[in-house]
Amino acid sequence: MAHALSQVAWEDCLLEPHRDRALEAFARETQGIPNPNIAYFASVPWVARAFVELHPEYGLLQRLDPEVADLVSLIVSQENSCRFCYSAVRSLLWAKGMSKQRIDRIEQDLASGDLPPRTRAALSFGRAQSRSGPPAASSACQALRAAGVDNDELKEIAYAVAITDFSNRASTIAALPTRPLEQLPEQWHMRLLRPLVGRILRRQQRRGTPTPLDHEPDFPYAHVVRAYGGSPIAPALARTLEGMWASEVLTRRCKLLMLAVIARGLSCQGCAAEVAPPLAAEGLAGAALETILTHLDGPELDDTERLLVPFARETIWYEPERIQRRARALKEALPEPRLVEAIGVAALGNGLCRMGAILGCAS
Amino acid sequence: MTAAWLAAVALLVVIALAVIVVVERGRSARLRVQLEASNAELEHLQRACSRLAPDGVVQRLIEAGGADGGEAMVPERKVATALFADLVGYTALSERLEPAALARVLNGYLQRMSDAIHEHRGHVSTFLGDGILAYFGALRPDPWQCTDAVTAALAMRAAVVDYNRELAAEALPAIGVGIGIHRGPGLAGLIGSRERTEFAFVGSTVNIAARVQGLTRVHGVDILVTEDVRAELEGAFVVDAMPAEHVKGIAEPVVTYAVRGRSDVATAAPTARADVTDALPGTT
Repeated sequence: MAHALSQVAWEDCLLEPHRDRALEAFARETQGIPNPNIAYFASVPWVARAFVELHPEYGLLQRLDPEVADLVSLIVSQENSCRFCYSAVRSLLWAKGMSKQRIDRIEQDLASGDLPPRTRAALSFGRAQSRSGPPAASSACQALRAAGVDNDELKEIAYAVAITDFSNRASTIAALPTRPLEQLPEQWHMRLLRPLVGRILRRQQRRGTPTPLDHEPDFPYAHVVRAYGGSPIAPALARTLEGMWASEVLTRRCKLLMLAVIARGLSCQGCAAEVAPPLAAEGLAGAALETILTHLDGPELDDTERLLVPFARETIWYEPERIQRRARALKEALPEPRLVEAIGVAALGNGLCRMGAILGCAS
Repeated sequence: MTAAWLAAVALLVVIALAVIVVVERGRSARLRVQLEASNAELEHLQRACSRLAPDGVVQRLIEAGGADGGEAMVPERKVATALFADLVGYTALSERLEPAALARVLNGYLQRMSDAIHEHRGHVSTFLGDGILAYFGALRPDPWQCTDAVTAALAMRAAVVDYNRELAAEALPAIGVGIGIHRGPGLAGLIGSRERTEFAFVGSTVNIAARVQGLTRVHGVDILVTEDVRAELEGAFVVDAMPAEHVKGIAEPVVTYAVRGRSDVATAAPTARADVTDALPGTT
């Protein structure tokens, strides 16, 4: 299916898929259909699980209409030039029954399309956030409020945008293969199965119910989790973050440094404040830390950090072809699990920073 | 008899369906060809537009879609870094070369300089004859914009050295580059008339960068940065202070620094700076 991003240059996939039956079963159980793409991230389970667990539509949204969440995802993926996610969402919308013409119309003309004002406001918000990041948070929030969106729904929209930012980065940096998704709606058997697949997808797509956290989060970025307290989003985010901090593929300090770089690049004060104390506990504070964050280098960095600190900066604003080239160069220097975890940390850090900035004005 | 009629009708229906399928497939194939041709045309147009506007501007306008495309570039006040570069040795070249060869050498130079700028997240705004005006941090927020600009300048210096080897192989005179870099506030966005609009960064920052570039000839160096840029570099580059000079349009003498190269941050002692415990510095 030729679409707006089909001409975006895209490298060959960087990662080898690894079968993991437990992960496959988890994805099938949650989403109703197999998710072959998580196999590329299977060497670091928390990254692979995050794709499924953080997906807004499987029991995480209480207020936001799932179709609006899909459209937000489509618009943000387009904005981020993520050919993979963009094709995936288009195929998803098509499988659920939306015509290709309607999808095209929505993409091309948000302002005068046949969408309700609240939906248009949500889509404009997604674009503004992807385009300008946290500095645009305040005006983006005001626009949503003016359209009649309340705090709870605003937070869910911010979540949908941020998780798309996460998926976009992870898929783009890894250069996940786009062809199968792009060709899906053209395949005769998929056309035949479309009503059935649509039914399965709609059945799995369930509303969230209030879900308390089973314990108080006490890890860096807990402020984002707490902001969603009571929503099923909070435990899902907490599980992913706990998985990230528990993983020993990259050191805790390396992950903190990557997140600090992203926080600085996006001028996100809340996120910067979250990572500063644990970095100090790791022995990095004051002038030493300032040197690292100013020059993306420093005498205290080990070999892996020296590669991943500047790489984190590359993931803030990127062109697919360039970030994929840089990631390929990293692949030469790092074992695959480290590369996968680095992609996961950078992608999640970008999503969390964008989410965190909105929460300030939504509270 | 009835069975024969039914079979005939069924056969006719099958044939009719087959004809419909063939016709529809043909129509679909024609539409696909048209779509691909349109895509190719759009791609061609995008490439053509990319030659007329800074990298990233066209892409962002396309991503933004039709009706609200301009919103992507609404002018806003920003602090950005301007890099002004000028070709040294153009006169000698122009005296020796035919127009076609001169244009080829110029194009080769401008391409190499643009590549170096783009590689370090800069955006070439415009070519002014053999001069180049580029911005860092004007299109997207970039807290590392000064480092990017100076790194790009060093890459431009290296690219000129490489290019001179190629020119020497063709017995052509060597060229040089003079680069001025300044950081400051300005208005960034799509600016222009109804007939012609372009992405621009407007303000005294650009003028100062151009004047500082002019000082490279006075001081006999190739890369000069202002105090505002040097303060952001924090020891990442080896610089030499130059004598302050008066330049046109600026009341006070301008202090500049010649950039020698990158210092090894990995082995350098951390620079003294306010202690940071509760939040990372540099965030707002």
